[in-house]
Amino acid sequence: MTENEMTSNESTESTSTAEAAASSPDPSGDPLVEQSIDVEGTNETTGTTGKPVIESRDLNVFYGETQALQDVNLAIPEKQVTAMIGPSGCGKSTFLRCINRMNDLIDAARVEGDLYFEGKNVYDDDVDPVALRRRIGMVFQHPNPFPKSIYDNVAYGLQIQNQTENLDEKVETALKRAALWDEVKDQLDKSALDLSGGQQQRLCIARAIAVDPDVILMDEPASALDPIATSKIEDLIEELAEEYTVVIVTHNMQQAARISDKTAVFLTGGELVEFDDTDKIFENPDSQRVEDYITGKFG
Amino acid sequence: MATREPETGWHGEQSDVNHLRGRAFEATCLALTAFGLVSVLLLLLFVAKDAFRPLSADTGWLATYAATVLVPLAALGVYYYRLDEPAGEVAYVTSGLPVVGLLLTGGFAVLFIELLSVLEWFALLISLAVAGGLIVAHGRLRSKAALERLAVMFLAPILTVFGLPPTEFNWFVTDAAAALGLDFGLYYRVISLREAIMLLPFVPTDWAMLLLTLVLPVAGAAGWFVGQRRDSRRDSLAVVGITTVFAVLGVVAGPLLGIGTDIWLLLITFAILPLGVYVEGVVRRGEGVRGLAFPVIAVLGVAVGSVVTGVLGFAGPESWLDWGFLTSATSRTAADAGIYPAMVGSVMMIIVIVLTTFPVGVGAAIYLEEYAPSTGLMGKFVTLIEINIGNLAGVPSVVYGLLGLALFIRILNWPQGSVIVAGLAVGLLILPIVIISAQEAIRSVPDSLRQASYGMGATRWQTIRQVVLPEAIPGILTGTILALGRAIGETAPLLMIGAAASVRLAPNSFFDVASMMPRQIFTWSSELDPAFRHGVLAAGVVTLLAVLLVMNATAIVIRNRYQRTG
Ligand SMILES: Nc1ncnc2c1ncn2[C@@H]1O[C@H](COP(=O)(O)OP(=O)(O)OP(=O)(O)O)[C@@H](O)[C@H]1O
Ligand SMILES: [Mg+2]
Repeated sequence: MTENEMTSNESTESTSTAEAAASSPDPSGDPLVEQSIDVEGTNETTGTTGKPVIESRDLNVFYGETQALQDVNLAIPEKQVTAMIGPSGCGKSTFLRCINRMNDLIDAARVEGDLYFEGKNVYDDDVDPVALRRRIGMVFQHPNPFPKSIYDNVAYGLQIQNQTENLDEKVETALKRAALWDEVKDQLDKSALDLSGGQQQRLCIARAIAVDPDVILMDEPASALDPIATSKIEDLIEELAEEYTVVIVTHNMQQAARISDKTAVFLTGGELVEFDDTDKIFENPDSQRVEDYITGKFG
Repeated sequence: MATREPETGWHGEQSDVNHLRGRAFEATCLALTAFGLVSVLLLLLFVAKDAFRPLSADTGWLATYAATVLVPLAALGVYYYRLDEPAGEVAYVTSGLPVVGLLLTGGFAVLFIELLSVLEWFALLISLAVAGGLIVAHGRLRSKAALERLAVMFLAPILTVFGLPPTEFNWFVTDAAAALGLDFGLYYRVISLREAIMLLPFVPTDWAMLLLTLVLPVAGAAGWFVGQRRDSRRDSLAVVGITTVFAVLGVVAGPLLGIGTDIWLLLITFAILPLGVYVEGVVRRGEGVRGLAFPVIAVLGVAVGSVVTGVLGFAGPESWLDWGFLTSATSRTAADAGIYPAMVGSVMMIIVIVLTTFPVGVGAAIYLEEYAPSTGLMGKFVTLIEINIGNLAGVPSVVYGLLGLALFIRILNWPQGSVIVAGLAVGLLILPIVIISAQEAIRSVPDSLRQASYGMGATRWQTIRQVVLPEAIPGILTGTILALGRAIGETAPLLMIGAAASVRLAPNSFFDVASMMPRQIFTWSSELDPAFRHGVLAAGVVTLLAVLLVMNATAIVIRNRYQRTG
């Protein structure tokens, strides 16, 4: 623990040594090491893939006695779509909630290890989770708009953050970006609960991007939607990735393959088995278990 | 594949499904419900018969009113129900609004007669308005200084309404000091804006003050509401303008018609203005206009009925519950006895309860639901507290009376049987109920909404203020109003804290000794004269039940109002 803290304090930027050291006992860790070197390599040479904004190191999460995440080491690159896939109950949502510290709201949850956002460990004592969540927006699995008007839903984040100049304009921009504006522009005063499920989910996305966060976390945002609404949301995610870092949990392999740049595969027990470019994961994974999972031999 | 013979009887009598037990259970439940409802209804009818004594009227009187009022209204009701439901709704509102308006008018009239002079009211409202203005102005000028804002929110009303130190509580401080053997008088003080206004050598007339502080604000609010609804500035201005013209006309013409100017202004504000706005809206929309016939026919029917019975000399019932009963004090003779002072006492007691129990109870509920830890040692402690709040809700009311007696009268030395002591003792009694129902309401706000709010980077306070409370308020209010209904009928605590058995004068301040409706009813129940025990008592019970009914109806209206708007 102390050694880990020391390394992280000394070098938050150069991660390869820390990660290699941390993951070496893990038998499935080899691709990870390569991976992190790979990311940094591309970063230095081409500059097209962003530098990592979110990095977890030896992240363990427990709910009471049960362990939900095991030694997760992961570096999420900036302004790309990173997908998380894996069987139900393997800890994908848990990992997502670690990033913006929504786990703080669950009494039973205990987080060990480090998670860096822009070089700062978010579990340090001097980090205010409220400030963190203002930079990292979240869209939940089930659409959860407030029982307020459409306008008030989108304006909510701006109001609580005191950014009330040009409110109308910002609301309109957010709704346009979420591809919802044309459907609701004449009924902004209507209750958000009167929208359809797909519209509600896009409203939640508009609500999350209205405050212009750095990262958007999405937990199965399309799981309750029909194919048309789903494809709208997928288009939207690809567009968002031009400006935001998007982390998305999904159960839909095709979706992950279609929209993500990187894919992380978690398997039962909360271990991160493989993390790599999406193409590589789906065409030629290193781990046999990942291949089995993707091809549906094992779930 | 199909090896079984097709069975023909699978859907009918011979099927394996057995509904017998289910049907029997359903029938039993229905019978029990009906039994409960019918017995309560019979009891109420029985009491109402004693209170109104309809059979003491001449048959002619009954027949006349049946013909002029009951039959036409019943016919209209059937017509609405069968053929014209929107009109039924309009009839319901146009009959209900004046009743509520008259109740409010009566309430304010009593307020001005018993508690405050118009000047005191004026000074209080102006001071509150100035305090509100200060708070808003500070919020605009220095929106970032949160602590300062809290201080202003707290100090501004104290400075404008009470002054420093607040005299209202001086005697309490002095008494406490005296108990410690100190002579501690607060001789120097900053007087409040309210007191300054009352010291002015020149004050406007009563009607001008009422116009400024009651008629215009209410008319303004109604105007704003209408403007919002119809998106028209002109209509808002029209509402305010017309109301003002009516008010001034009434002030000039009122004395000629024998209506006091104050009463006239109250009537305008609470009865005529809302009714006028509603009726105008109905006529403009043109939907359910026929509903307006209902109140018109009711009024006409009563008028015609009274002329006919007057001309033919039919005598009405010798009802115990009449205008005299509601407006006079109790007396040695049953015929003159009334419930007025006890009613004022009850209402003032409710005011004390609302001002103390509501904030304390809702605050506690918010803490327990939103802030209190649920794990660790503190979590165990909180669970213990929650269990005991449940237990407190079941403690007999006599015990709360005893608590009130010990705490407020023996220890704090407050006047025995005063409104404030009664209010606090009964308030303690319903506190656990308020907490539990408020907790229930807060808990019913879905967790996904809290998650959404926290996920947006809202603080806990912002989440509670903007997401949880707006959703929970209807439930909190319904629970509280039902608890208040319980409070208004409690008798045992009033006996323990020594509320007056019967009083001739209504209380003029919260520290006056008073009687309350249930206490007065209890006194009547032990009078020797049977007229008291049968007639006056029944009239008192019906009055109490009517007040309760109004409160519960308010609760239901509030709940329905907020439920599906979102
Ligand atoms: N609030 C909680 N309290 C206790 N245990 C929890 C809680 N939330 C999750 N868990 C446990 O943690 C493990 C991981 O859960 P998590 O919700 O992260 O899975 P997931 O990968 O998102 O699954 P799914 O795909 O079904 O959403 C599960 O075994 C679950 O039982
Ligand atoms: Mg999940």
